[in-house]
Amino acid sequence: MNETPLIPAGVKRCSKWQFSLWMAAATAVLLWGVYAMYLIWYKGLNQTNMNDAYGFALWIWADLAVIALGGGAFFSGFLTYIINKNELKNIINLAVVIGFICYSSALLILAIDVGQPLRAWFIFWHANVHSMLTEVAFCLSCYFAVLTIEFIPLILENPRLDKKPFLHHLSHNMHGIMAIFAATGVFLSFFHQGSLGGVAGVLYGRPFAFREHILIWPFTFFLFTWSAAAYGPCFTILVTKITELITRKKLVKDNVIHLFAKISGWMIITYIIAKTIDTIYWAFVTAPGFGFTLMDFYASSTYNIGLLFAEIVICGFIPGLILITKRGRENSFLLMSAIILGVIGVSLNRWVMVLQVMAVPVFSFNEWYTYMPSWQEVATTVLPVAYGIIVISLAHRYLPVFPQEKELNPID
Amino acid sequence: MKEKNDYKQAKRYGMVIDLDKCTGCGACMVGCYSENNVPFKADETNKLDSINWIRIFKITNDKPYPETETCYIPMPCMQCDGVGKHGHPPCVSVCPAVATDYDYDTGIISQIYTRCFGCRYCMAACPYHARKFNWWDPVWPADMEKYLNPKVSPRMRGVVEKCSFCFHRYQQARDKAYLEKREELAENEYQTACAEACPTGAITFGDLNNKNHAVYKLKNSPKAFRLLERLNTNPKVYYLTSKKWVRRAGDNYLTHEEPGKIKNNMKEHH
Amino acid sequence: MKIDRRSFLSYTTAAVLGGTAGSMLTPAPWKLIDDAAIWTQNWPWTPVPEDGEVTYKKSVCTLCPGGCGITVRLVNGRPIKIEGSKEYPVNKGSLCPMGISGLQYLYGPSRVTSPLKREGKRGEGKWKKVSWDEALAAVTKKLSELRATGRSQSVVCLTGSDRGTIPNLIDRFLTVYGSPNFIRSSTAQDAIEQAIYLTQGKQGTPIFDIENANFILSFGSGILDGWGSPGRLFNLYGGLKPTKTIIQIEPRLSDTAAMANQWVGINPGTETALALGLAHVIIKKSLYDKNFVENFAFGFDDWTDEDGKTHDGFSTMVKNFTPEKVAQITGIDKTEIVSLARNFARASKPIAINGRGQGDVPGSIDESLAVQSLNALVGNINKPGGISAIPDSNYAKWPEVTIDEVASKGRQQPRIDGAGSEQFPNTRFLLNRLPEILNKTKDESPVQALLVTAANPLYTLPDTASTKKAFDRIPFIVSFSPYMDETAAYADYILPNHSYLERLQEVPTDAGISRQVIGLAKPVVQPIYDTKHVGDSFILIAKALGGFISNAFPWNNYEGFLKETLKDQWRELNRKGMIEIENNTPEPLAYTFNTVSGKFEFYPTARNTAQPKNRSALPSYTPVPIEGDIQRFQLVLIPYDTIRLASNNIANSPFMTKTIDDTVLKKQTGMVEINPTTARGLGLKEGSTALLTTPKGKATVKIHLFEGIMPGLIAIPKGLGHTAYNKFLANKGTNFNDLIGPIEDPGSGLDMAWGIRAKLIRI
Ligand SMILES: Nc1nc2c(c(=O)[nH]1)N[C@H]1C(S)=C(S)[C@@H](COP(=O)(O)OP(=O)(O)OC[C@H]3O[C@@H](n4cnc5c(=O)[nH]c(N)nc54)[C@H](O)[C@@H]3O)O[C@H]1N2
Ligand SMILES: Nc1nc2c(c(=O)[nH]1)N[C@H]1C(S)=C(S)[C@@H](COP(=O)(O)OP(=O)(O)OC[C@H]3O[C@@H](n4cnc5c(=O)[nH]c(N)nc54)[C@H](O)[C@@H]3O)O[C@H]1N2
Ligand code: SF4
Ligand code: SF4
Ligand code: SF4
Ligand code: SF4
Ligand code: SF4
Ligand SMILES: [Mo]
Repeated sequence: MNETPLIPAGVKRCSKWQFSLWMAAATAVLLWGVYAMYLIWYKGLNQTNMNDAYGFALWIWADLAVIALGGGAFFSGFLTYIINKNELKNIINLAVVIGFICYSSALLILAIDVGQPLRAWFIFWHANVHSMLTEVAFCLSCYFAVLTIEFIPLILENPRLDKKPFLHHLSHNMHGIMAIFAATGVFLSFFHQGSLGGVAGVLYGRPFAFREHILIWPFTFFLFTWSAAAYGPCFTILVTKITELITRKKLVKDNVIHLFAKISGWMIITYIIAKTIDTIYWAFVTAPGFGFTLMDFYASSTYNIGLLFAEIVICGFIPGLILITKRGRENSFLLMSAIILGVIGVSLNRWVMVLQVMAVPVFSFNEWYTYMPSWQEVATTVLPVAYGIIVISLAHRYLPVFPQEKELNPID
Repeated sequence: MKEKNDYKQAKRYGMVIDLDKCTGCGACMVGCYSENNVPFKADETNKLDSINWIRIFKITNDKPYPETETCYIPMPCMQCDGVGKHGHPPCVSVCPAVATDYDYDTGIISQIYTRCFGCRYCMAACPYHARKFNWWDPVWPADMEKYLNPKVSPRMRGVVEKCSFCFHRYQQARDKAYLEKREELAENEYQTACAEACPTGAITFGDLNNKNHAVYKLKNSPKAFRLLERLNTNPKVYYLTSKKWVRRAGDNYLTHEEPGKIKNNMKEHH
Repeated sequence: MKIDRRSFLSYTTAAVLGGTAGSMLTPAPWKLIDDAAIWTQNWPWTPVPEDGEVTYKKSVCTLCPGGCGITVRLVNGRPIKIEGSKEYPVNKGSLCPMGISGLQYLYGPSRVTSPLKREGKRGEGKWKKVSWDEALAAVTKKLSELRATGRSQSVVCLTGSDRGTIPNLIDRFLTVYGSPNFIRSSTAQDAIEQAIYLTQGKQGTPIFDIENANFILSFGSGILDGWGSPGRLFNLYGGLKPTKTIIQIEPRLSDTAAMANQWVGINPGTETALALGLAHVIIKKSLYDKNFVENFAFGFDDWTDEDGKTHDGFSTMVKNFTPEKVAQITGIDKTEIVSLARNFARASKPIAINGRGQGDVPGSIDESLAVQSLNALVGNINKPGGISAIPDSNYAKWPEVTIDEVASKGRQQPRIDGAGSEQFPNTRFLLNRLPEILNKTKDESPVQALLVTAANPLYTLPDTASTKKAFDRIPFIVSFSPYMDETAAYADYILPNHSYLERLQEVPTDAGISRQVIGLAKPVVQPIYDTKHVGDSFILIAKALGGFISNAFPWNNYEGFLKETLKDQWRELNRKGMIEIENNTPEPLAYTFNTVSGKFEFYPTARNTAQPKNRSALPSYTPVPIEGDIQRFQLVLIPYDTIRLASNNIANSPFMTKTIDDTVLKKQTGMVEINPTTARGLGLKEGSTALLTTPKGKATVKIHLFEGIMPGLIAIPKGLGHTAYNKFLANKGTNFNDLIGPIEDPGSGLDMAWGIRAKLIRI
């Protein structure tokens, strides 16, 4: 019997050895993280440097950040299947893979982060519908299921799997109904991205985090969804560019990238204007109502006003303006700068909305709280990165992630 | 909003702590530890991983010697009524698993350790840092397990705990009253361990809704204030002080603002 | 069909996936998930305390001399909580943190659970469990050897108190055995007691009737930091605050100072000058109680002795202490001194008290005399709201002892510590002198056996290093401690006493002037370890020694002894848990004093005036010498007390240590307080690590900046720096006694050191 090759037809991949070496390196990092994870599960959260003031720390940031960065998946799905931006079909596979990685990582991080992992399912069983975290847990899990469903047809396109008639038809049928899942995903994402923003925004005991509400949701609810949609594509583009750099091949056509970048740019600009308005209202109305001035929130050397400037101007207006101008996004240096700033910007926002919330003293007589993660926390946070590299490498090697690859890199 | 559930007998248990009488002796802390099976470790100097259901802060007026003054502020869980008068303390609505809840009969915020799965969202929500996480398994060395109070279950690693206003004492008093076919508890029938332990009588405990209880009168004293009142947490723990600077330190004020003269601008929640 | 590797893998995968999917439809995985959660809720290593019938037992706390009434809550006979006893007249329900955490002493990891014999080197911590018979026999053998060789006086018994039946039993033992060397640890009480004796001729326990006073002038007494009976004082403070004025005089804003109506910052060690300065103002402004001074006092005005020599009276002497001069010495503003004096003298019920902090250090006799004189000036002696002394309890009436020749000879030897000698005629115990005496002796150590109960000299005596050296010279050390304290850890034998909750003991407490309370500490549980009542141990040793010694102890055990001691009072004591003895306060106008003059002596005739040469007996201010060269050591280290730290023979419970602020202890390093201005000069910041050096020793400390301490001073908490006990206490912070040495009061021999020169270097 003549075996169908594992590698898709018409594309060239690096040697087995090269690939094994690369995977071994990533696996080593992964195992380090797994060891740390084992320590945390076995010995408990005393393995971290979190404390009663820093109950939410590096992991929750990582969680929020990966979910925001994975936002490219739902937003590209929205653009492709609902707005019918067909060009984006050429990048959506990657967006889905990234989304899958990000959301599975987020769930894993949550499972390490709770004090009683074996009871974590109480969040579903004894759900408190008033809690933003309940909303997050439900939407996150459902959306992860959706992403898995979106990922499966891509897996089934592996030449060897595709040969099996059942799988071939399954894949075909799934493609047919993908728009429904994409729409579901968009809906779910809207809520969980929002509820992640709500997590901080509802904390009326924390003047730094608290935001005024629209209906039952604080402003941050909308800002988080908006920012994930705005910056998620930056991360998708960034991963595309990194993959291209590593494989030394062009994988996605410029017009696709430029379109995606342009949409991202407009989202960033509108988001950052909204964010600015929110900040001004918060600084001049909300905070003073609690007896705080804006500068009280930035009175530490670590958390100084530069952070707010960086988030809004450097990582907000600047990338936004670059991406909405044709000359900006078509200049590869400016494009790269903008997407990197974008990725940093959204991560910074999540950092501030988790770690600075914990650091700001609420009592007039308390000092700023400080925190440095333990190696176990760092290792488990790096774990998803290694895991992501492994999944993307496997996907790239064995699956037709980039439909334009064949065309862009003909093998003679 | 009108409160339909506000039936006649509803209690709002609360505390008044007289800072003019509090010497910072720590008896309330030790009383609470021993009543509530609070564990201890070899090193308790990191106050951010040390389980205390009532902590004592020492604050100073920052004036130079010899004009310096200090004041101790003992802080149990403030048993916040929260936004909207009743039942929405900052910590309760955030708990995804209903492991902490507002008891409408007493106003006490419960904490059910066997339900809590340790997400710590409630800790992020509580501005008073009243909630403590069990970072370690509790260990009682030598024969110390023998002194544990059977009315309060020891907590396992990985869950949050906090001051319960000695809820088990309420349960015991209520059970006793029930057996004696009484509806009402006398003021002295249900007292917290810290109030009993305070050797100077700085802590008064009782039903804030009951005109006959000492706390009712004390909370209306001109010397009374609550910590971080401006956040609208609506605590049931009140403080008394005759010192202006202490009162000011109890909340956040803009430079021109005067404590006691601020109107809350936050909308009520539901 | 041929099954190749690949298809095998595919089928296996399919089977696993199918199996998983299938089993998800059965209850099994869900049950497992649920079981896992239930398991986490019932971890076998998280204890489940046994429930049962709740009972209460009353007793008295003896963890400190405070003698508070306690109520112990038990479940199925298992003590689970200690609370204050509201009916007990001393504390009326109030307890200090130590008393509340008492069960941690009962069940704690520091208990000595059986008699122990030292195996390794002293203090090495290697022990062999021995039987009680063996341990008692070893002590008996040693004691009879010493007696046989005519060295009975070389046996020293060291106790924490000399009041009550247990110390009296031990004293009786020494009497028939033949040693004068019964030593009680000294505290501020010794100096105050002596001052009362010198001025009033009355030997007894000093009483400050704070209950009935309304203006308390405290020369550094930490009345809210553990001074006197803490339970009593906290209770008083809480109940009577609005009606009393408290003035706290000390260089650091202690918790007492913070709660006082007025805090007067004073240069440390100059309290005597202030007292004399206040006397100056009171006399000059004629604000003193003329009736008392004229009719019942001696030595106020100048007087002539039998030899025709004229002496300055108190009023003449204090003329030197003008507000200007005192202001200069004490650092207190002149006008403040005048107004303090006025307020004190004009108050309806003023009282002046002294004894720094928890009163662990006696202090100078001048200071105690000066404070007594202030009380006398306002006529505040032997009356409600005033100062007096109650004589030692007279309820202990035992059959007279007959002693043999050996004992008689031994008893006639001078005391090793020099107390009662020509040099220190009015002092009864001088433990602080013992180390130096031992270290100085070239030949055989005058102490051949040391029996320690309710004291921990290796922790509490100043200059720990030299105390240890002195102890090395004692061939035989026996500790009766229930806990592995520093002294027990350094002993040759430990004959562990029951812990206080397992022990029967009567507890004389000095609650106030109007009554003397005798409480009964009743065991609330059967002894949980292989321990023995210290009274029983002594009775058994006495019986084993035989002869007259045995005859002096006809009782089977301590309980029999106690019952006989109390006779008809026993029933009442046993039933009520305490008895109150009315103290016959003399009629204000019928003051009688047992002094030479029969009056209150401003000029204490009985005072030893040989040291320094031909001094006047009047209290005077000579700066208490402070150890250290001012060039090398530019700062001054003073100790401070807090109720959250126990600095005496019983150390902190884990719960107490848990309450300590992170500005006092950080991990294992102790923090010292200094004023920010002083810190700035030394380049020190909050939390900096520094090397603290004194002429006596050095320690690594961390810095806590505190505005409430006088610039130039360093304050270090007492009660830390233990080397023994358990991991919840050992090696945390610094023992102040490692850094200071004793300074002998020339007249009394008592330790009067209040601080030591020091330096701080950033590291
Ligand atoms: N699936 C599942 N079910 C559980 C549990 C679980 O882990 N999982 N936990 C079980 C356990 S261990 C418990 S203790 C129960 C609790 O639940 P129950 O024992 O059924 O208590 P309630 O009837 O709610 O009455 C107690 C009321 O007092 C209030 N309260 C205030 N303070 C406290 C406090 O300190 N403790 C408690 N219990 N209530 C307080 C609460 O708001 C509550 O309304 O739930 C039990 N049910
Ligand atoms: N501070 C505070 N104190 C409280 C409460 C509170 O909320 N706060 N809640 C109160 C309330 S409502 C309750 S119900 C109690 C809960 O307190 P506990 O009843 O102590 O609850 P658990 O800690 O779950 O302990 C139950 C124990 O029962 C044992 N067990 C389990 N299954 C079995 C069995 O089949 N047989 C036997 N013999 N033993 C078994 C296990 O060892 C388990 O540890 O705590 C009360 N005390
Ligand atoms: S003090 Fe904190 S824990 Fe207590 S009720 Fe308020 S928010 Fe909740
Ligand atoms: S830590 Fe426990 S109590 Fe707090 S929010 Fe999470 S589940 Fe609820
Ligand atoms: S009320 Fe009870 S649980 Fe709360 S701090 Fe006081 S003693 Fe502790
Ligand atoms: S027991 Fe009373 S006096 Fe002591 S610290 Fe607590 S509240 Fe203050
Ligand atoms: S003051 Fe002394 S006697 Fe009273 S409770 Fe405290 S340790 Fe016990
Ligand atoms: Mo329960």
